[in-house]
Amino acid sequence: MLVEFDLIRRAQKGDSAAFNEIVLAYRKRILGTITRLIARPEDVEDVAQEVFVRLYFSLDQLRTAEVFEPWLHRLTTNAAYDYLRKQRRRQEFRMSDLSEQQVVMADAVAGGRVEHDEQHNKKIRESVDSLLGAVSEADRILLLQKEVEGLSLKELEKIYKVNENALKVRLFRARQRVLKAFAVQQGTAPVKTGQ
Amino acid sequence: MNSIHGNDEERLNALFRAYRDACPVPEPSANFMPDIWARIEARQSITFSLRRMASAFVTAAVALSIAMSVYLALPHSNPNYYQQTYIEALADANPLETPDIVGPAKLDISDPGR
Repeated sequence: MLVEFDLIRRAQKGDSAAFNEIVLAYRKRILGTITRLIARPEDVEDVAQEVFVRLYFSLDQLRTAEVFEPWLHRLTTNAAYDYLRKQRRRQEFRMSDLSEQQVVMADAVAGGRVEHDEQHNKKIRESVDSLLGAVSEADRILLLQKEVEGLSLKELEKIYKVNENALKVRLFRARQRVLKAFAVQQGTAPVKTGQ
Repeated sequence: MNSIHGNDEERLNALFRAYRDACPVPEPSANFMPDIWARIEARQSITFSLRRMASAFVTAAVALSIAMSVYLALPHSNPNYYQQTYIEALADANPLETPDIVGPAKLDISDPGR
């Protein structure tokens, strides 16, 4: 826990200063999680703010301060999920946006303004983003929480309130789909003979 | 084929690890906190307006219900009207003294020769 239980209880009672302290304590962690979940640096702050606004309005629903962290993680997951769903609806718009970004990036590379590391990181982000296109937004978030955030099944169980076996099955299926897309991307997918 | 598949598994794990490192955590901007409070206040004002509207609607509905209850509870001008049976009501409406428009046929049986 990054904050004392007492601080959460004070925030629940409407203490604005206590709420500010909670935001200050958790904002970096939330920004990090959202960065990895949505892979769009330009929108990370906006989604993180949405998480804290939801936190403010739902603090009174938190039964005990002890479950604050999984609960905040659930709010983060839901906000990222809502964002990704909206993104899918705006996909066409984004595609044109992306190509514009690529043009800018190409110009920047030609001008030698972007360092090699940043190019490499961007390539990795795009590659993973593209692979995760093989699964639904919900599975994308679940898989990233397990594989990238490093959450255990027990932690995921607390966040999703779903039993461990159901999570295992869902994770396995999502991973298999991503693995298949990865094999296609890498050119190691088995060739179908049509028999 | 299994080795290729196993290789893909390992490479995918490595890619996920690399992904974590390739996502630098952005520094929150100076407006991070003020923007949160601005959003909270905007939503509070919307919620407040909705609550006021809902409250006004509920008050109006309660007032209407009370008015209707009072109206229904008031004694009617002819309280016995619906307490009569149909026959009684018919008899009241057509008292015996009232002459019929078409009088009833009378059979005279005093003169059997006719």
